[in-house]
Amino acid sequence: MKLLVANRGEIAVRIIRACREMGLGAVAVYSDCDRDALHVRTADEACHIGPSPAAESYLSIDRLVAAAVASGATLVHPGYGFLAENAAFASACQRAGLTFVGPSPDVIRLMGDKHSAREAAVRAGVPVVPGTAQFFGVNASDEVVITAAEQIGYPLLVKAVAGGGGKGMRAVSKPADLPSALRMARSEAAAAFGDGGIYLERRLDTPRHIEVQLLADAHGTVVPFVERECSIQRRHQKVVEESPSPVVGEHLRRELTEAAAAIARTVGYTNAGTIEFLLDSAGRFYFLEMNTRLQVEHPITEAVTGVDLVVWQIRVALGERLTVPAEQALTPRGHAIECRIYAEDPDRGFMPAPGLVRALTVPGGPSVRDDRGVTAGFEIPVFYDSLIAKLVVWGETRESAIARLKRALNEYRVVGVSTTLPFFRWLVEQPAFAEGAFSTTYLDGVLAARQGRPFREPSSQDEQDAVVAAAVAAWSASHGATTAPSTEDLGTWRRAARLDSLR
Amino acid sequence: MTFEIEVAGRARRVTVEPAGGTDQAGGRFRVVLDDVTCVVDARRTDLGWSIVYEGDRRSLDVAVTQETRGDMLVQFPHVDVRVGVDGRRFRGDPLDGSRSANESHVAAPMPGRVVRVLVKPGDDIAARQGLVIIEAMKMENELVAPRAGRISEVLVSEGQSVEAGRLLVRLE
Repeated sequence: MKLLVANRGEIAVRIIRACREMGLGAVAVYSDCDRDALHVRTADEACHIGPSPAAESYLSIDRLVAAAVASGATLVHPGYGFLAENAAFASACQRAGLTFVGPSPDVIRLMGDKHSAREAAVRAGVPVVPGTAQFFGVNASDEVVITAAEQIGYPLLVKAVAGGGGKGMRAVSKPADLPSALRMARSEAAAAFGDGGIYLERRLDTPRHIEVQLLADAHGTVVPFVERECSIQRRHQKVVEESPSPVVGEHLRRELTEAAAAIARTVGYTNAGTIEFLLDSAGRFYFLEMNTRLQVEHPITEAVTGVDLVVWQIRVALGERLTVPAEQALTPRGHAIECRIYAEDPDRGFMPAPGLVRALTVPGGPSVRDDRGVTAGFEIPVFYDSLIAKLVVWGETRESAIARLKRALNEYRVVGVSTTLPFFRWLVEQPAFAEGAFSTTYLDGVLAARQGRPFREPSSQDEQDAVVAAAVAAWSASHGATTAPSTEDLGTWRRAARLDSLR
Repeated sequence: MTFEIEVAGRARRVTVEPAGGTDQAGGRFRVVLDDVTCVVDARRTDLGWSIVYEGDRRSLDVAVTQETRGDMLVQFPHVDVRVGVDGRRFRGDPLDGSRSANESHVAAPMPGRVVRVLVKPGDDIAARQGLVIIEAMKMENELVAPRAGRISEVLVSEGQSVEAGRLLVRLE
């Protein structure tokens, strides 16, 4: 039996690993710029599906289905992003006789539409964030939206109806800022999801983002998992996640997980999904949205429960009964933290930094997991999301997990492109992080207050060491060797790539 | 050999000589930096150099990247340091308006597509005001004014694809 992975990058590699462990053949797909990507190299078979722009490759339903049929795959895993929450893709797989690893197209449609998802939560008896029940299509005039905004009151959020991952979302604190926020949200949503529809929602004061992973089979069993805390966000994009939440006790955990399971049962959910909640400072929680797919941050749940979520996704899709014990899923063993490492320059406002990875050292040792989609020698393309790796650490306690994270962050070396590693090295030293005292507004607040100051500034000792290293490198260069990995020096990174692959 | 190496705005004369068993792959070096002399054992690695100081035995795992000619990025596990070698001073990134109060232009920091131009020639702008929005890696990135001033020229239009370094807007 074969499974086609309709995705790229680290998540494609993650799914291929699950296939290997289950004895399934793994079929990768790739665009022009991804021919030498890690997911292609890792797979048993690989199908070229088109040019580099995602719309002509990873977002092309016809080409993906054709690749699956041609390869003889019977299963299709969409990963996250791209077509993972696209009901038309799930339907197209069904029509072609392929098993889509995810919920049914009807449930994707129902929960992907923020409006009907809210209604489902209300039917399940779960509170929702106050906002308009009204949704504004691309043709709705600014005036209509502004009037609706006045009824909700400021501050508020403009969100994409088809949204996710912070795309097409803008925070607005005063009426004067609404028109430009609307414009940005609409154009971003149209570009990312092909749907410029938006809606408005009250912005809670210092809420925490808490979410509940669940698995559900086709036989009526729903298993919710211990919560994940994802409050550390930059521009509504999660950057660090941990499980369990430092502020959720057993009682609240029971309430949250029961609410999540109730929503899943109400809509007849199957496969893996995540219910996102906002938790206010008084301990009240509100349904935010449901992600009808595997989440980026799923490894932290795997780390504290020992359950392989991707393997279970595939088993459930094949019609198997879910036999994960409820107690195991709800009782965290130790503490796990994930950092999303992006090819972005944190010292330049987190601008995307595509380019050639010249050398790479990845952390190892006890309880460190590196889910990565790039290797030394790979040119990070400009066409896709800039996530290059997820560093996940586990510790017996939150404190020991943080100590391990600091250690692993300093082991992680990426040469050639800027990454968010220096930012994480700074973040883990912040008192608010150590204390777990943060909300979804924490990071944007402290970043604004820093006014672009570099995250790590060298000491005079560091500067002296750098001069010594530069002098040695310059001497070596003037004696016939290249200083180190450089754009002209392909030999060095090929050697580096070879070292990496031997590791 | 003697180099002039600039770090953090300060140029230092540095003399480096082989001190035994030295070839392109490394060996012992005597480095004289201002009045300080140190001896290091330096070996090439996949990242750059492994350096062990004689004396205090400190071990450094250093990534060294030749950026443009003369500029080097020296990366330690905990921090990055940029240096300029032999008069090729590290001036900060010329594409990054936010670091200099005297910048007279804003350039694209990465390849992408111009989705919106927010200003026109003659506009008076405040520092950090949005000028151009570029979409790259699925995100819209707003490029802001490095300082207050007036727009003298807008060099791109909406929908246009731009390469990294492409000039977008000039300030008077």
